[in-house]
Amino acid sequence: MDNIKETFLEVVLSILPITIVITILQFTLVWLPLDMFFQFLIGVGMVGAGLVLFLLGVNIGLLPIGEMIGSALSKTKRIWLIVFFGFLLGLVVTIAEPDVRVLSSQVDQVSGGQIPMDILILSVAIGVGVFVALAMFRIIFSINIVYLLAGGYAIVFLLAAFTPSVFVPISFDAGGVTTGPLTVPFILSLGVGVAAVMRGKSSSGDGFGLVALASIGPILSVLLLGVIYG
Amino acid sequence: MNIKIFEGFWHVLFDVATALIPLFFLFLLFQLVFLKLPWEKLQDILVGFILTYAGLALFLQGVHIGFLPVGSMMGEKLGTIENTWLLVPIGFVLGFVAIYAEPAVSVLTHQVEKVSGGYIPQKLLLYTLSFGVGLSIALSMVRILIGIPIWYFVVPGYLFALIIVRFSNKTFTSVAFDSGGVATGPMTATFILSLFVGIASVTEGRDPLLDGFGMVALVALAPIISVLTLGVIYRRKEQEQYDKEQLRTKAHSNDR
Repeated sequence: MDNIKETFLEVVLSILPITIVITILQFTLVWLPLDMFFQFLIGVGMVGAGLVLFLLGVNIGLLPIGEMIGSALSKTKRIWLIVFFGFLLGLVVTIAEPDVRVLSSQVDQVSGGQIPMDILILSVAIGVGVFVALAMFRIIFSINIVYLLAGGYAIVFLLAAFTPSVFVPISFDAGGVTTGPLTVPFILSLGVGVAAVMRGKSSSGDGFGLVALASIGPILSVLLLGVIYG
Repeated sequence: MNIKIFEGFWHVLFDVATALIPLFFLFLLFQLVFLKLPWEKLQDILVGFILTYAGLALFLQGVHIGFLPVGSMMGEKLGTIENTWLLVPIGFVLGFVAIYAEPAVSVLTHQVEKVSGGYIPQKLLLYTLSFGVGLSIALSMVRILIGIPIWYFVVPGYLFALIIVRFSNKTFTSVAFDSGGVATGPMTATFILSLFVGIASVTEGRDPLLDGFGMVALVALAPIISVLTLGVIYRRKEQEQYDKEQLRTKAHSNDR
C-alpha cells in the first residue's frame, strides 16, 4: 500500500509543474478556446492515472523480468548465448515499439516514399539489436564505454557527410525515439542483471549504458539507408 | 461543448498491445527454459503486465487528446506574439517541466539511485536532466527564430561531451549517455514537438517537419552534457575531500 501512495504522490508532483505552466500561459498569452482547455485538463487526469498504473506495473513486471532474464543468461556462462539473446531482445523490442512506426511514416514523407517502410523498421531494429549485443560484450569484458561511444559517433559523423542532408536530423531522431517507455525499463534492468552476475554486485553500475548504445544503432541505420537511397 | 476524450483510443490500445505482447512472449520463453518461477511470482508479473498495459495506454491517450492539440495550438499563437524573444524563456520553462512527466525518466532516475546505492540521488539527477532539456528547448527556440542549421549544435555538442567525459566521474558516464535516449520520450516527442511544428508553421522560411526533427536531436544531446557536467562537479568535490584528508593525516603525523 505504501508503494501505491508513494507512486501516486510522485506522479502528482511530476505532472503538476507542466500543468501549472500551461495554465499560466493559457490565461496570459495564449487564450485557447475554453473547450480546448477543458479537454487538456481531462488529458492531464488521464496522463496522471496512466503514469501511476504504468510505474506500478513496471516495478512488479518489466523491471524484475529484465533483471531475471539478464542474470539467468549470465549464469549460463556462455558468452555467445548472452550476446545472441542481447541481439534478439533488442531486435524484438524495437520492432514492437510504436514510436518506430511513427518515425517510419515521417521518413516516408521526407524521402518521398523512396525507402520502403518495412526495410526502415527492420534496419532500425537490426541497428538496435547489434548495439545491444555490443553492449553485452562490453559488460562481459568490461570495455570502457567511452571507446564504444566515441567510435560509434565518429562513424555517425563520417556517414552523415555522405548522406543527403534531409536524413541527418531524422537519423538523430530515430536514435532518441526508438528508446521508448517500454524499451527503456526492460533494457535498463537487463543490463543491470547481466552486470550483477558477471561483475559482482558492487559494480552493477556497469549495467548502465545500454540505452545509450542502443540509441546509436538506429542513427547509423537511417544514415546508411540515406547513403544507399539518397 | 466539443470535447473528444476517446478519439483514436482503439488505435492506442492496439499500438501498446503490439509493443507489449512480444515482450510477454519473450518472457514466457525464458520462463519455460531458464527461469521456471513459481506460480505466485508469475501472478505478480502478469498483474505487472496488465498494469503496464493499461497505464501506458491511458497515458498515451491523455497525451494525444490533451497535450498534443494544446501544444500545436499554443505553438501557432506563440509564433505570432510581438516579442518573439519571449519564446526563449518560455521554451526553457516548458522543457524543464515537461521532462518531469516523462515515464522513462522516472524509471531511469529511480534505477540509478537504487543501483548506485544512493550515490547519485534521484532528485539531483532529475533536476540536472530538466535543466539540460530546458536549455536545449530554449536553444531550439533561438534556432527557429534566427534559422541556424542543426549541424552547428550537434557536432560540437557531441565532441564537447566526449571531451568532458575525461574529466567526469566514471559512474556518471554511462548514466549520462543513457539519459540522452531516455529524455526523448512520448511527452517531448509529442507535446514539445507539436509546439515547435506550430511555431515553425507560422514563422516565415521554416520547414515545420525539418525544424521539428532537429529539436528532438538537441533534446537527446543536452542531458548528456548536463549529467556529465554533474559528474565533473562530483569528481572535483571528491578530489577536494581527498586532498583535505591527505592534509589532515599529514598534519597529524607532523604533530607526533
